[in-house]
Amino acid sequence: MDEAWVLPLLPAAGFVFLLLLSPWLPRRGDWVAIGLMTATFVMACLVGVDMAREIGDAGVGNFVPVTDSRQWLEVPGYIEIRMGYFVDQITLVMLLVVSFISLLVLIYSTGYMRGDRRYGWFFAVISLFSASMLTLVIADNLLLLYFGWELVGLCSMILIGHYNDRQSAAEAAKKAFVTTRVGDVGLLIGIIILFTQTGTFNIQDTLHAAEEGEIAREWLTAAAVLIFAGACGKSAQFPLHVWLPDAMEGPTPVSALIHAATMVVAGVYLVARMLPLLEVVRGMPELITAIALTTTVLSALIGLTQRDIKRVVAYSTLNSLGLMFVALGSGAVGAAMLYLFCHAFFKALLFLACGSVIHATEQQEVDKLGGLWAKMSITAPAFIIGALAMAGLFPLSGYWAKDEILVGVDHGHLHDIVLWVTFATLPVTALYMMRLVMLTFFGKPRDEHVYEHAHESEPVMSWPLILLAAFAVVSGFVVFEGVGEALGFHSGWLGFVYNLAEGPEEFHVDWAISIASVALVVLGLAAGGWFWRGDAEPARRAAAFSPATYRLLYNRFYIDEVYQAAINYVVLAVSSIVAWFDRSVVNDSGVNGTAEATGFFGWLGKFPQTGKVPNYALAIVTGVLVLAIVAFGYRT
Amino acid sequence: METVGQEVPLEHYIMLSAILFTIGVYGVLARRNAVIILMSVELMLNAVSINMVAFAVYTAPSLFAGIIFAIFIIAIAAAEVGLALAIVLRVFKNRGTANVDEIDSLKW
Repeated sequence: MDEAWVLPLLPAAGFVFLLLLSPWLPRRGDWVAIGLMTATFVMACLVGVDMAREIGDAGVGNFVPVTDSRQWLEVPGYIEIRMGYFVDQITLVMLLVVSFISLLVLIYSTGYMRGDRRYGWFFAVISLFSASMLTLVIADNLLLLYFGWELVGLCSMILIGHYNDRQSAAEAAKKAFVTTRVGDVGLLIGIIILFTQTGTFNIQDTLHAAEEGEIAREWLTAAAVLIFAGACGKSAQFPLHVWLPDAMEGPTPVSALIHAATMVVAGVYLVARMLPLLEVVRGMPELITAIALTTTVLSALIGLTQRDIKRVVAYSTLNSLGLMFVALGSGAVGAAMLYLFCHAFFKALLFLACGSVIHATEQQEVDKLGGLWAKMSITAPAFIIGALAMAGLFPLSGYWAKDEILVGVDHGHLHDIVLWVTFATLPVTALYMMRLVMLTFFGKPRDEHVYEHAHESEPVMSWPLILLAAFAVVSGFVVFEGVGEALGFHSGWLGFVYNLAEGPEEFHVDWAISIASVALVVLGLAAGGWFWRGDAEPARRAAAFSPATYRLLYNRFYIDEVYQAAINYVVLAVSSIVAWFDRSVVNDSGVNGTAEATGFFGWLGKFPQTGKVPNYALAIVTGVLVLAIVAFGYRT
Repeated sequence: METVGQEVPLEHYIMLSAILFTIGVYGVLARRNAVIILMSVELMLNAVSINMVAFAVYTAPSLFAGIIFAIFIIAIAAAEVGLALAIVLRVFKNRGTANVDEIDSLKW
């Protein structure tokens, strides 16, 4: 476990290697990226085995996280900044998820991206993406975490804009970068505030200081809100959620990576890590929960109407992220991390299955798909498993994770309305996931040409689907203590990943919540099956029932339009003033003015230049005489 | 102890050098023929060389710095005259004159 710091370096080395050598390597060096990622995953597993053994030796609850750091920068007598790693249970979960999903995405990409103009570059950037995410989760201090945080943002921008000859992709990349930047600035200011208050970047020391009340209350509140703003930007929570649905402009494997492992869960990780600090601030859990519930409800409703298959899955990610933040707001770190763990598998599965459909049909509008069940014998079941897990059907992984969140909310100190609203979103989630399944794989093919064209994907793409589908089914079982013990952890998930303030928990089924949630999910699924059966006639009638509502949902509550208007009327107005100042004062007066003044004096100065040799000779002699007289005058 | 060259007082060398230099300056300023101007420049250079050698002999006879300097001046002057005469020759061929007053196209 002491070698855990090597983990981010492996893919980072892959990035540098591919960046320099990829054009000269066979297959553009994709095997380098895959090999190093495999090594990363194996190492992450070894870290897990080590940790399981240590927990076995020390007993659950007595486990001490492994951490070490080196001096990075010192101003003697003022500050010392150390860089190091910190591995506890949350870190381990993130390490496993990130390296595993990255590995599968890389393997899948060898099929999906074949023949791409920038194939080697794509693999290089994905390696860097994983390396940054691993840096982020393994960092023991906020500064290193922030480095990883920014690198993740950069890589996501590069990859979303991978098809850079497409205007929409470039726009989406810009949108993702600028929107997350809004949150990132908040995070940076929050980190600086914490540093000025505590004099250290170390996360554990900072959390300790916050819990001991060593930080002034106003500053702590400001820092907590700003850090949460950073998490909101990265994890696409309302009102900074607008970039995530557009991010599907990138290649589909990238969407899978962003949604499942390397980008959006960074915010969840940050909040889970900083939760002891956030909980100290009064009102902070309520704020987190309120924002998360807004995101969940909005995304569930919007997901009902979107026509792009990937866009619907993107909204389902918003939905899931909202649930994770609801759990964090209630203090249920274990439940949030369990959902993150399971979500990584079924969301990566959904996206890669989407990619398989798109690859086969070159079509992503659900209006033009349909009846693909007969054509895609691996993709279709895999997608359906992912959709059902997303909906939270017993006994798939989504069910266990979602139920833990519901139990956590129930046990939390928040108002009961949180639980009711969370319950209310469950059938909606099931409804739109079922809609997607029905429209894509069942019913009559709506476009004969697309249907004729469809075919199952090659093995290199379908094998990751099968593997992920298996995990989407079984990964939820880690809540059972028997499973945890079989894996060597001597307890179930909740005894392993837990809120430090409350200690490990035992897993037990809350029958009322379980039955209610399964009933609601089944209701949603059944309704979805009925609405979109055959020609989807009932759904069309439902949409026609209130066209205004339908338009509101289809246009995503006009949030993008409001932002666009704000940009047009506020940002661009301010920019035009700055632009005027730049053009007339800086450019015309400053830069051009200097040049014109130089030109004028040059014009004046040219007239003594007569071109006649005697004039120059006379000038030289006069000059020498003057110098001689001056020198003589000084000497006497 | 008197060394070789110190039979004549230093002032005489300096006077000679000054007179030669002034004649050179006068030639450069007053004459209009490019060849004459070049010859005047040579006079000025030689005046300086005399100065150098004289001072070298009187102040540091064991060091040959001044004398070596004079040799350098002679070498560079030769090269410079070769170049300058070539230019004057070309100018004369192109324009039919070596009068510096008439050669003034390099101006604003």
